[in-house]
Amino acid sequence: MSEILQLRNITKTFPGVRALENISFDLREGEVHCLCGENGAGKSTLIKILSGAYQPDEGGEILFEGRNVILRPDVAMKMGIQTIYQEHVVFETLSIVENIFTGSEIVHRGLLQKKEMRRQTAEVLKYLNSDLSPDTKMTELSSGEQKTVEIAKGLVFKRRVMILDEPTASFSSVEIDNLLGIVQTIKKAGLGIIYISHHLEEVFRIADRVTVLRDGRKVSAYDINGLTKNTLINDMVGRDPSTFYRRERAPIGEVVFEAKNVSGNGAKNISFVLREGEILGIAGMTGSGRSELMNVLFGSARLDAGEILIRGNVIKHSSPKSAIRNKMCFITEDRQNTGLFLPQTIAQNVAVANLVNTREFVVRQTDDARTGQKFIKQLNIKANDARTRVVNLSGGNQQKVVLGKWFNTNGDIFIFDEPTIGIDVGSKQEIYKVMVDLLKQGKAIIMVSSDMPEVISMSDRVIVMKNGQTTAELTAEKISEENILTHSIGDKVM
Amino acid sequence: MIDDKSAAHPPPEIQARPARESIFKRHENLTVLSIFVGFVIVIVIVQLIMWGGQKFPTFISPVNILNILQQVGVPGIVAVGMTIVMISGGIDLSVGMLASLVSIVTALGISKWHYGVLPSILLGIGSAVALETVMGYIISRTKVEPFIITLGGMITFQGIALLLCNSREVIMNGELDFFKTNLIQGAKDPVSHLNLIIPPYVLIFFFIALLAGLLLNYTKYGRRIYAVGTNPNAAYLAGINVQNMKLSAYVIMGFLVGLGGVMLLARVNTGIITLGQGLEIDSIAMVVIGGTALKGGKGNIVGTLIGVFFLGSIGNAMNMLRLPSEVQFVAKGLVVIIAVSAGDVSARISGFLSRRKALRLGAAQTPFGRKGVTMESTK
Repeated sequence: MSEILQLRNITKTFPGVRALENISFDLREGEVHCLCGENGAGKSTLIKILSGAYQPDEGGEILFEGRNVILRPDVAMKMGIQTIYQEHVVFETLSIVENIFTGSEIVHRGLLQKKEMRRQTAEVLKYLNSDLSPDTKMTELSSGEQKTVEIAKGLVFKRRVMILDEPTASFSSVEIDNLLGIVQTIKKAGLGIIYISHHLEEVFRIADRVTVLRDGRKVSAYDINGLTKNTLINDMVGRDPSTFYRRERAPIGEVVFEAKNVSGNGAKNISFVLREGEILGIAGMTGSGRSELMNVLFGSARLDAGEILIRGNVIKHSSPKSAIRNKMCFITEDRQNTGLFLPQTIAQNVAVANLVNTREFVVRQTDDARTGQKFIKQLNIKANDARTRVVNLSGGNQQKVVLGKWFNTNGDIFIFDEPTIGIDVGSKQEIYKVMVDLLKQGKAIIMVSSDMPEVISMSDRVIVMKNGQTTAELTAEKISEENILTHSIGDKVM
Repeated sequence: MIDDKSAAHPPPEIQARPARESIFKRHENLTVLSIFVGFVIVIVIVQLIMWGGQKFPTFISPVNILNILQQVGVPGIVAVGMTIVMISGGIDLSVGMLASLVSIVTALGISKWHYGVLPSILLGIGSAVALETVMGYIISRTKVEPFIITLGGMITFQGIALLLCNSREVIMNGELDFFKTNLIQGAKDPVSHLNLIIPPYVLIFFFIALLAGLLLNYTKYGRRIYAVGTNPNAAYLAGINVQNMKLSAYVIMGFLVGLGGVMLLARVNTGIITLGQGLEIDSIAMVVIGGTALKGGKGNIVGTLIGVFFLGSIGNAMNMLRLPSEVQFVAKGLVVIIAVSAGDVSARISGFLSRRKALRLGAAQTPFGRKGVTMESTK
């Protein structure tokens, strides 16, 4: 078997972060090469380089069929590299044929050759053992069938390399079987396939070779024969101890928040307690239902079953409004879309959540400005004054404005969803310090995080989630990379 | 290897200490105000040239200014409501036909059903509030675009109005004349010695604008309206009842359209379907000239007031310059386009200037990544 793709010494740096360091990787004809690693290990960066979306730093080289190339999105496509991303990029209202050919229609004298396009589509679908009609609209397809269409597109245009990024997220087990069958078929057709999955059972069913990444470095590469799950997991963890740090502990008080058999929004039967002065970490892979659970707890998604108790009282959240009245705060993971009012000023942003608690109909702008100024000082927000518009701030400072917004409500149960996502190292430390200060005041924190060192360093206890369920609750020295990872990707609960 | 930071990087973090915003950005009404002042100056200069400086430019004579105010009073009241609706992220195309409907209902109440003057007025305003509430309810509870719902409303209201009056006009006997009594009876223009007129509805317009300005700027309600228009998701998570806020904007709109419809009726003494025609176009134009964004969250009453006077004085100015009245549509259209794009253009210019300055100061990084490098096959 010959190599289609070879990467040699690829490095990619973003300002302040080295996403990939000296990666070498190759892909042969007719094989499935799996990429494994935690969230943030560099898998996505690597496929973005392969699809041409990112350019690697100088010094490395990419060889396509032995030729040195510079990949850009159009070039990668022309050479036959197709990436199928996790989230579907489809024209929902168009048919399968139209989806496949949009952008590269077959045209004869300015007229679309509909029959020919339909024929080619039907042929490929048949080859993939799919009974879909080429004229079906995309909206009528399940997410598994939509993936099939994207793979069919690759075959129609005779691609050489197919990259599948978490293709089975949100699939039923029948759909997973189907997809793995299709991958086997196209492998036989001689394509090289790069397959990324958090589910080790899939990896062992489909892979010929496995490469493990950790913190942007290549840890190991194996043939699947003789490989065990334990070896893989051990390779995925094992960070340098210097990436962890000790935080100050605060005295743990009584239970302030309790979830009893909570289900809804994808979360199934979750129970836990939260005490004053404690950080409860929620770990798990992307798509394990952590943020979905947080929305249920905050009242912004429906609670289907179970109970939420705050200081022993059952709370019937109907909306975030009642959650805020019950002194809850929710720092969401997507601060630009769900946390901030970007065109507005710091003062306005900081004032808005506390409107629920203010009785007076008339608000004073000078009061808001003073509050804004107070948080600029307290949280060390880098801005001229409270009239600065939030859109002009950096990510770290924007996150501090979100914190200010919630501190202003005087809440005492905090949900931090990815508290330091997209934030520079300096601001990260400041935010950790602020969180510890909260604990010292006797407040309690639930922290969802995909950043393993963050989870391990900050949490007093950790709950691990997979497929909307809890797979483990870890305390004290049990909080380790191995344990967290085993429970987030292992096949204990399905 | 080719360096291409611009395409590869996530958007770069903006500088730690944000630069002071330009004066036009800090005072958001300044751009349109300066265009308006420029417009007035041009008209005055043209008038002075036309008459060789012999006569006082009639465009800025008190009698003409009051004249303009009378013309913009009703559209102004509606524009205030439109400002609130648009800040909340909505729009209302139905206001014109709704005003016609109100005038017909009120006129029928007075002259046909004999309910008396005050009950008829309340009936007219009440029906506008009720109909806007229905539309607001649908808009806030579904994901259908307000554009579509209010377009449907516009057509429906036209139908209802025509059914009520059997497609005829409803004539009254001046029962509403107190709305056009002159509040400064006997006052004369110092230049032309013509009678000065300020009817009550002009004062009502100013009063409503003041009230709405205070509401938007100094109350919890105003804060929430801006929050909902800026980012409904974040507003919801901050404990704001987004649906009811949107609904409330339409209810307020209903009241103001009702009031405007009654004023229109008072001016012409006849309830007729053409009365509110074009009111939606005029009021939306006034609001956007004043800097309110279609996407919501941005705008204010002072801007809208400028927009009201600006749009209202265009037709008047065309008359003064003895231009055919058809020209005013061209001028109005151009003003909308210029006023709305001026902010963006000035931002681009100042952005360009500050980049040049940064380059001159020898900033280490160029703000533009190198572009346009294609596939290379180095052997």
